[in-house]
Amino acid sequence: MSNTTVKQKRTALKVKSSKTLNVSSGVFRVNQSITKTINPSISGKSFSSASDSKVLDKSLAQTPKHTVQVFDEHGQDVTPHPLYNPDPGVLQPKQGKIFPAHDTSWTTMTDFPSVAFQTTNASFTGPFTKSFFGSVSASRTSQTTESVTDETKELLVKPDLSSSLSDVQARREEVKEQVREDIMDRVVDSYLTETETIWLLDIPAVSVSEDSGDAEAVKERNNAYTELCKNRHGNDKYVERSMQTFNDAPKTKEVQSDSITMVDKAVMSTTWDMYDSFCNKADVSENTVVSAEGNKATVPDSSSMSHLLNPSGLDQSMSVFSTTSTVSGSSAHLEKMTCVLPVEEEPDLELILQSDKFKKDLAVMERVVLANIFQPKLAAYRQLPVIEDPDYVQTQIEEESWTEQSKNSLSPFLEHLWAFKCELTKGRNVSSMTWNKKNPDLLAVGYGQLDFKDQKPGLVCCWSLKNPTWPDRIFHCESGVTALDFSACNANQLSVGLYDGTIAIYNVQTTEQTPIIDSSDCANMHACPVWQLRWVDHDTGLAGEDKGEMLISVSGDGRISKWIHYKGLECVDLMKLKSPNMIVNNQRWNPKILSLAPGLCFDFHPNDSKIYLAGTEEGHIHKCSYSYNEQFLETYKAHTGPVYKVTWSPFCPDVFLSCSSDWTIYLWRQDLSKPVLGFTSGQKVVFDIMWSPHCATVFGAVREGKVEIWDLRVSSLDPTIVSASSPGVNPTALLFTPETDCVLVGDSEGQVTVYKLKNLSAGDSTQVEALEDVIRTTLSSQHTLGKTDRDA
Amino acid sequence: FNGGWQTSLRSPVLGDMVTLFTFCAEVEDTLKRIQGINGVIGTIVVNAEGIPIKTTLDNSTTVQYAGLLHQLTMKARSTVRDIDPQNDLTFLRIRSKKHEIMVSTDKEYLLIVIQNPAE
Repeated sequence: MSNTTVKQKRTALKVKSSKTLNVSSGVFRVNQSITKTINPSISGKSFSSASDSKVLDKSLAQTPKHTVQVFDEHGQDVTPHPLYNPDPGVLQPKQGKIFPAHDTSWTTMTDFPSVAFQTTNASFTGPFTKSFFGSVSASRTSQTTESVTDETKELLVKPDLSSSLSDVQARREEVKEQVREDIMDRVVDSYLTETETIWLLDIPAVSVSEDSGDAEAVKERNNAYTELCKNRHGNDKYVERSMQTFNDAPKTKEVQSDSITMVDKAVMSTTWDMYDSFCNKADVSENTVVSAEGNKATVPDSSSMSHLLNPSGLDQSMSVFSTTSTVSGSSAHLEKMTCVLPVEEEPDLELILQSDKFKKDLAVMERVVLANIFQPKLAAYRQLPVIEDPDYVQTQIEEESWTEQSKNSLSPFLEHLWAFKCELTKGRNVSSMTWNKKNPDLLAVGYGQLDFKDQKPGLVCCWSLKNPTWPDRIFHCESGVTALDFSACNANQLSVGLYDGTIAIYNVQTTEQTPIIDSSDCANMHACPVWQLRWVDHDTGLAGEDKGEMLISVSGDGRISKWIHYKGLECVDLMKLKSPNMIVNNQRWNPKILSLAPGLCFDFHPNDSKIYLAGTEEGHIHKCSYSYNEQFLETYKAHTGPVYKVTWSPFCPDVFLSCSSDWTIYLWRQDLSKPVLGFTSGQKVVFDIMWSPHCATVFGAVREGKVEIWDLRVSSLDPTIVSASSPGVNPTALLFTPETDCVLVGDSEGQVTVYKLKNLSAGDSTQVEALEDVIRTTLSSQHTLGKTDRDA
Repeated sequence: FNGGWQTSLRSPVLGDMVTLFTFCAEVEDTLKRIQGINGVIGTIVVNAEGIPIKTTLDNSTTVQYAGLLHQLTMKARSTVRDIDPQNDLTFLRIRSKKHEIMVSTDKEYLLIVIQNPAE
């Protein structure tokens, strides 16, 4: 509203006569034609009036002049007053520019209200300028009274001005009154100075006085103009003429474009996708660093990656090239890329199949597949409930055998679970078995002939319970393996004793065939087969360099040696197994010539690691001390053949067992020089014995053709369980499992069979007292027998 | 079966192209062993796009298994990673009435073994 009223106001406040086109100020535009359809709201019409004014500037004389007035029924002029007076001070600079630039001035006019508003609101000079303005226009109105058309405008102006004037005056008076009241008595010095002349409004006159020199010229010009206006009618010079443009014939033109193929593209943004792109941004910068270092391993990897991105065709090789160039970033690598590119399929396949990850996955997969098959057996081994396969339909035959066994379930028996065997081990003799100290699922088996004849290269296999069909590690040895032991401190070290007397230590973490260290360089190495190896931890009571774990071996050359891994394997003799017969019986023999009895086995006391037993080929068992390597502490003579194994009882500290090729197993107590009990069953050589780690009265024995489990609580005359092996196959090694109630039997055909002890009434406790009871009763009965003998 | 000559593969110069074409014996042995296990119907190795690169089954069955399992593995992997983007799918096992399909997954390949465990 205000905008438009401003315009209206401006048009109303026209300063000069309509006859002259010299519009002094753009604001005071001559608005000649105002449409008749005027309504009280002047605002709407002001726009049209504004537009019309441009047109009318050109044809001023012709158009009829309309006025903006509103009269009520009484003839009173009730035209609404414009609400706003533009600031004349702002208008001043525009005077010169009006004529050429109508539009610009028009636009500037629109700026005025905002400017003027501000100025009127802010400045105190506003009212003064208005009054001035009013006075100017008032003077002008007096000047332009001639023009009829102006009058009505002036009418509009006047009431407004008077009101503004009155407003102004009212304000002025107010101010004045205030001053009088406050400063009535004061003497006020007022200094009057003349300021510069500030031109607020300069409107050149449009009329010239009669007396001036120009009057004549002006008059002439005016007259000429009126003549011109008169002559316009009917003058040939001024002809109305209309023009019509030619309309060309329309022509349709068709254009056809290629069909726009629409492709649906969808993107799914997932959490991991965003995470990946975030990580890859960081990785790309890393890759450039890595490849710039010349790591050639990344080259085929990146080629495979890029190959995966662009699988189709060699024509894409350029883009492949570029992507790899961003990743690798060194020219040497790029050359290699071009070499690899032509063979697109192969690297991809090769790289996958050779990657370590693939190997690992294959191994896992193998175990998974086998687990499906062996699950019931493994569950039985681990003493877990065996879950029946719901989809598994038992065949008739299996059901029968199952029911048979269940019928005999009261008596103890060995349940065959599975056998570790593979092609590699076929036909080899199992010589020794040992569990890994750290991983109870890992089993090391040594294959080697124990006889002097038909010696062949030995084999050590590390089997995992999870894969009974193929060993995890295979180590080929030059000669037959006769002894094995895992270290307890470094659980990955496996010491292997060979038939030729060499001791080698392997690292089972790798698949390398060479041992970490070998004793073949040692000057003192054994000349005869190493029959037993043991890692012994001498924590108790020893000072200096003897602390820690040590490898101790017994060999057929009659020495028990301690091996130290210093620069190579160095050995120190702990004991020389002198043959006591020689010393006792043949005193005339030169004592300097010492003959040593071949040692076949030894065992350190579980509690006191200084004491150990050693069994010889002559049938003697010597109790020796670690720190005393000249003489034996004691000798136990009972066996008539080579003593193959001697073991302390893990529960009773004084009791030990020994087995020999004279078909006997003897139970000794270390303070008695005669065995307490002897076990024989048949005339078969006993190859191996072992105490059960769970029950003090149970031990297992391996004879030619039979596996026996003895339980001394049940009977000391007969084995509790006897399991005959298939004919031609001899079980040669026995191993109890430390955690479950299973027993492993190795035989001469290369199989290691796992049996579960069933229905062996183990009970909760270790039955140490039971064993001691048995011994006591036996001793007492012996004693009584002895007594009766003497009595008799 | 040491795999010691793998180092030559890592620097492919034109002259060493020949070595690229031979497989690692250890991998071959293991694959053969798996195939020889009682009850295993087939083994398939699929690359990252779902194209089978090694198989012991006939062509149509291989293509079918590879395509379907590839999609399923993608979906399973997406599920696992949506829950935790730092996690990743390693193994997928589908037990059906007749068979068990085991898929060992990796970013670059899929190892599929189909077994009939009842035998």
